[in-house]
Amino acid sequence: MMNLSKTQLLGSLSLLVTVFFIVPWLIEVSGRWDFYFTLTSVALLATASAGVWLTFYIGRINIGQGAFALIGAYTSAIMVVKGGWSFWLSLPAAGIFAAIVAVLIGLPILRLRGVYFAMVTLVLTQVVTLTALALPITNGAKGISSIPLPAGVSIAGIVLIPDFSTLENTKLAFYYTACAIMVLTFAVLYRLVHSRLGHLCRSMQQNEELASSIGVNIAYIRLLVFAISSFFGGIGGAMFGAITQSVYPSSFQVVDSVNFMLNCFLGGLGYVFGPMLGTLVLYFGWDLMFELGQYQLLTYSILLIVLIRFLPNGLLSITWAGRKDS
Amino acid sequence: MEQILANGLYLGSQYAMIALGLTLIFALMNVLNFAHGQMYVIGGFVTYYVYGQLGLPFVLALVASCVTLAVIGALIEKFLFAPVIKKSAREESTMLLAAGTAFLLDALIQLVFGEKQRGVPKIVGGVFNWDFRIIMPYDRILICVLAILSIVGFIAYMQYSKTGRALRALAQDRMAAQLMGVNVDRYSMIGFALGAMLAGLVGGLLVTITGVNLGMGGPTSIKAFMMVMIGGAGVISGAIAGGIILGFLEAIGLAVLSQYGDITYLMIFVSLMIFLAIRPQGLMGKPWG
Amino acid sequence: MTPLLQVKNVTKKYGGLIANNDISFDVAENDILSVIGPNGAGKSTLFKMISSFVPTTSGEVLFKGSRISNLKPHTVARMGVVRTFQETTIFKNMTVRESIVVAQHLRAKATLAGYFWGTKTAQDDVADFGENADQLLDFLGMYDLRHEQASSLPQGHLRALGIAIGLATDPEVLLLDEPFAGMNHDETMHMVSLVRSVRDKKGVTILLVEHDMAAVMNISDRIVVLNFGEKIAEGTPHEIQNDKTVIEAYLGSEDDEIGM
Repeated sequence: MMNLSKTQLLGSLSLLVTVFFIVPWLIEVSGRWDFYFTLTSVALLATASAGVWLTFYIGRINIGQGAFALIGAYTSAIMVVKGGWSFWLSLPAAGIFAAIVAVLIGLPILRLRGVYFAMVTLVLTQVVTLTALALPITNGAKGISSIPLPAGVSIAGIVLIPDFSTLENTKLAFYYTACAIMVLTFAVLYRLVHSRLGHLCRSMQQNEELASSIGVNIAYIRLLVFAISSFFGGIGGAMFGAITQSVYPSSFQVVDSVNFMLNCFLGGLGYVFGPMLGTLVLYFGWDLMFELGQYQLLTYSILLIVLIRFLPNGLLSITWAGRKDS
Repeated sequence: MEQILANGLYLGSQYAMIALGLTLIFALMNVLNFAHGQMYVIGGFVTYYVYGQLGLPFVLALVASCVTLAVIGALIEKFLFAPVIKKSAREESTMLLAAGTAFLLDALIQLVFGEKQRGVPKIVGGVFNWDFRIIMPYDRILICVLAILSIVGFIAYMQYSKTGRALRALAQDRMAAQLMGVNVDRYSMIGFALGAMLAGLVGGLLVTITGVNLGMGGPTSIKAFMMVMIGGAGVISGAIAGGIILGFLEAIGLAVLSQYGDITYLMIFVSLMIFLAIRPQGLMGKPWG
Repeated sequence: MTPLLQVKNVTKKYGGLIANNDISFDVAENDILSVIGPNGAGKSTLFKMISSFVPTTSGEVLFKGSRISNLKPHTVARMGVVRTFQETTIFKNMTVRESIVVAQHLRAKATLAGYFWGTKTAQDDVADFGENADQLLDFLGMYDLRHEQASSLPQGHLRALGIAIGLATDPEVLLLDEPFAGMNHDETMHMVSLVRSVRDKKGVTILLVEHDMAAVMNISDRIVVLNFGEKIAEGTPHEIQNDKTVIEAYLGSEDDEIGM
């Protein structure tokens, strides 16, 4: 099905081995258990950022992923807490609901371009936060807390996923789950980009009129891709809610939407794995700067500005010149 | 009914000023000033210190706010935006830079001015009461008048002064303006400074009524964007229209919808989506796309 | 027999400006029909309305009896009426071959999901597209250039690429927008024979807009002449060359290169 070259196969394998074996081993050895949460966050934020990256692929600047993450988080939380559903069912449901909202919003706004589209998505995040505060079902400002840990999944007596409340090391379990989601997301992303849909998106990026003239239904493709992007945002958010066991209107805000975009940009918009690298660097960087206390935001923003000022085309552009996905 | 109109006018005049600053910067450089809300906040804090803490005359405080923001705007444009715009091929870079400057200003505000909500004593006491049909404190009326005067002054400046004409030429067509001898770099900087100054001025005016605190930056930026979306980007009349309309919508919403909870902005946004579906360029924006 | 393409009373107004006024003509199957006229005559606008990139103010365009005007552009392409663009409109960052492969979108049998999962239909499609692309490039004499970046091609080849992209959709009608513009005599003659073989060998009906009179007279079965947004003449090349109104229209304007 997928024709992977030797280097690609090797690369993917080493990534998987690193993520699933080497990193946990390093953490056990060094005793820095807090890194589990950091890396789990990175994995999920990278998933959401992957969605933003995909929106870039249809030529739109998406600063609204925080909205979809929040929608996903609430959907899952409500389903689990108020509906008694299994978390594992609520996860894809959260993604799908986010995608549906994306379609509704996308219909009027996807024809907008550049700064105009970005503006609308920015406002979107704020509005979803306000909605969460206002609606009764989302519990307003109190949010939804004490979300139970994910239950187990078994078919015909065979346990596929153990009940998280029975596990000793839930941190590790969440880490594995988040990484699995991230790996799957990026696998899908990679496949999309290299399949016909990716080719069509590139044609739209490079010349919309010409793409139209060869029969590409531009509006439809944009909507489809935007829905997929938001799906990733939704599941990222839902997983986050499961880990922190709470969802508040402030769980995802405008600043998060901006950060998702920053992750993509830093990693390089031309590379599928850009968002992964960007998220890792930015989030770890932010976390490491925690020591700076009140100077954290200042240092972060200064570094960011310096980076954009001197590397306007992202991180990966310096080392991997020429290794573009096309 | 009249009360809603009065409130709408009051809010609208403030908002129009904010939108004007944002739209000016956008028209000149195609940059969405994410830090606009933060600039408003800085303006508020400066006035708080000069008028509230040092006890100097209010007008002086406003001038201080204007100057501070003009300087900040000029520095940001000259050392950050200008080089990035020249260097980068992609539109995203300037947008990310704008986001970065917003973070930076937020950080600076936190460090320099602290996290507390600040306010100043009323500049004018008493309440205007017209038969209980319109109740408006005098200071609000004064601020509203000052805002309207500033807007008129700004428009006159843009229309008749040499700088204003250069800025308008630049906004219309960068290349053509350059060919006509307009120093593009210098006027970009002036324009950005002017836009920032407007934000600071509103901040200074409003600190006398609503006070100011660190957290107001982001939401104010968002409101500014909404105004530009309503009225159309890059057009002065659009900015004013957008500001006034948002002011009125907010006044109406608060009066009518408050019984349902805090859903005014949700309703505004939904309406905006529908509006944009029909007219994506806003009321007075140039057709594009 | 119904003509393949019918332009019926098509009018386009931009506010007070009338770009096209009540234009009507038919295109017979397998014909090559050229639309000519001095600068500003409204040829380009007419073209855009026929391919539905611009809506008509009134009037309609019929293809095989069904309306194609005022539909979404991609729908018209799907129905078999495909346009090319003026100058160098190509996919900048793709190779020649990639451009042709993506242009075969309309011939795809598998769904997008099918391509994602790599179903048999999708794989067959991909193989088919590749083969077809190679054949088409060979037909147009561009096979050796197939791995070149589109943006690095010289102008003449870019034009051919534009036609190739249009052809890759397997159209019934191809609308060529100034295919000979900016070419010297040799290049023009080469392009003329290319366009003719597209009609002859692929059975595509061709509608073109052009300024180069020599080429137009050489290649067309029928010609429609526009001036100031109105149709002033229609006929065979011979008839047009001797039509007084046409000669006046051209002599009255500052157009060069009449070549009659």
